[in-house]
Amino acid sequence: MPTELNVRFPVSASREHDLELARRAATGDRAAQRDLFIEQRANVHRALFRILGSNRELEDLLQDAFIEIFRALPSFRGDSTLGRWCQTIAVRVAYLAISRRRPPTVDLALVEDTVASDSDLRRHVQVREATRRLYAALDRIEAKQRIAFALAVIDGKSLAEVAELTDSSVFAIKTRVWRARRELMRRAGKDAALKAYLDDLEGGES
Amino acid sequence: MTGDERLGPPPVEPLSEAAWARVERGVWAELDAETAPIRVPPGPRRWWAVATPLAAAAAVAALVVMTRGRPTTRSDEPSRVVSGIAPSSVSFGDSHIELDAATALVMSHEAEHPTVLLERGAAWFTVAPRLQRPAFIVHAGDATVRVVGTRFRVGRSEERIAVEVDRGLVDVQFRGSVVAVGAGQRWSSEAPSRIAAIAAIATSPPPAEPVVGEAPASEVPDNSQPEAPGPAPRHEPRPPRPSATTGRAEPRPGAARPNASDPADPGTVDRDRAEYDRLAALEPRSPDAALAGYLTLARGTSRWADPALFAAARLAVDRHDRRAETLLGIYLQRFPGGANATDARQLLARVQAEQPDRR
Repeated sequence: MPTELNVRFPVSASREHDLELARRAATGDRAAQRDLFIEQRANVHRALFRILGSNRELEDLLQDAFIEIFRALPSFRGDSTLGRWCQTIAVRVAYLAISRRRPPTVDLALVEDTVASDSDLRRHVQVREATRRLYAALDRIEAKQRIAFALAVIDGKSLAEVAELTDSSVFAIKTRVWRARRELMRRAGKDAALKAYLDDLEGGES
Repeated sequence: MTGDERLGPPPVEPLSEAAWARVERGVWAELDAETAPIRVPPGPRRWWAVATPLAAAAAVAALVVMTRGRPTTRSDEPSRVVSGIAPSSVSFGDSHIELDAATALVMSHEAEHPTVLLERGAAWFTVAPRLQRPAFIVHAGDATVRVVGTRFRVGRSEERIAVEVDRGLVDVQFRGSVVAVGAGQRWSSEAPSRIAAIAAIATSPPPAEPVVGEAPASEVPDNSQPEAPGPAPRHEPRPPRPSATTGRAEPRPGAARPNASDPADPGTVDRDRAEYDRLAALEPRSPDAALAGYLTLARGTSRWADPALFAAARLAVDRHDRRAETLLGIYLQRFPGGANATDARQLLARVQAEQPDRR
């Protein structure tokens, strides 16, 4: 079950807060910019993490995303929440990054020491391995399909939310998720662990 | 994986505060650069339209410099000064401030006291004797430094503060207590009740960054660009110790280090280069942290991933770390024609030859 984002204000108050914060930050008020950064960093990080699958190389993308956010602030009109608006920009930054990069050939995470010894260790290792396989497969599918799948299936967002974040229609998102799922299942044909994890994800609430 | 054993989506792994601090610093630096007051318009078109006012502005600036020396800030309202990738300096009344690169501070007067708020980075302050005049004050996080005439340095990384006094005496007020720091002494918020002698510090392994604080080097502004002019840091980073395995120091000059410039993404490469240099300096003091840092850097895709991965492997060999063989294998798989590939093969052969002894 995806973690719910904190909602700190009633809708109208939240909108006013967002607009005021965006207005002040857009004028170059460093205190407001910092407040916005602190408020939205988890939001932006979550979107990027879900799409990219790990914190590797995420610092540069976070920096790019926030720079884009601050550049675009004058265009924020409060039509959506500031959080959603920031995530939209983060998704766009992630899309550009995925489109440019080549998949790594070796996952260095494999050489890290695993020191935990509690009862959750087995589950932790399972999730980690399954996640690695899932994102390795996602690395090889088209960027838009990957983003739609990551946000809708892995992060549990509704198709309408994903459509808003990616500036697409719900139908387009539905198609992309379907195609991504079909491609992943094809790749999972020889990977029982990946297939089991895909079934696991699809079986959960979304 | 049955219904009872559902794994669910992978957790969102949090980013460390140090990483967030780096991200934040990078964002502000970029925004500060974008809001620089003078921008040269691209292309030759309409050059005359900007040349005239620029020439006039230059003439006025030259006149000010000739008549008053260095630029002096107005004393009746706050002024914010931000240095870019190179150090900078500014006069504040009869005092002089030398900013390190990537430093931001605000100068104002509070109840007649010349007051500086250090937002980030580090700076040397040369303050004329105050005599009957109000004390000169520097705020940095929770620390307040009161000065009666001295030369001193304040460094700030997030909430970690450090003060180093070259001449004179300053009072450092920090969370309800006040300590006096004299010439040749240094104070840090990491150990607020302890005053250390600079000479003693100078003989110990140097900090990875020239900021005087004891904050982790990853959280202090990046001053490692060798080409950046300005006030010399108090502690020059020493070359790291020679590798016990290869008999030479890392980072090696020449082939093992990639070119500093990368037309594809110079920002990333510069950061990675700075990070690599920081880790190389960190290696003698904290090899475990350096190894972990090299591995993090190696996970990237910049040119510095090659030397970082080799450095990690070489360090693991030096320390008889059981990951050495794996790391060397990964290096050779990933960079079979890399600048360190020959060394990696030799090291791997040696490690494999030593395996019976290790077991």
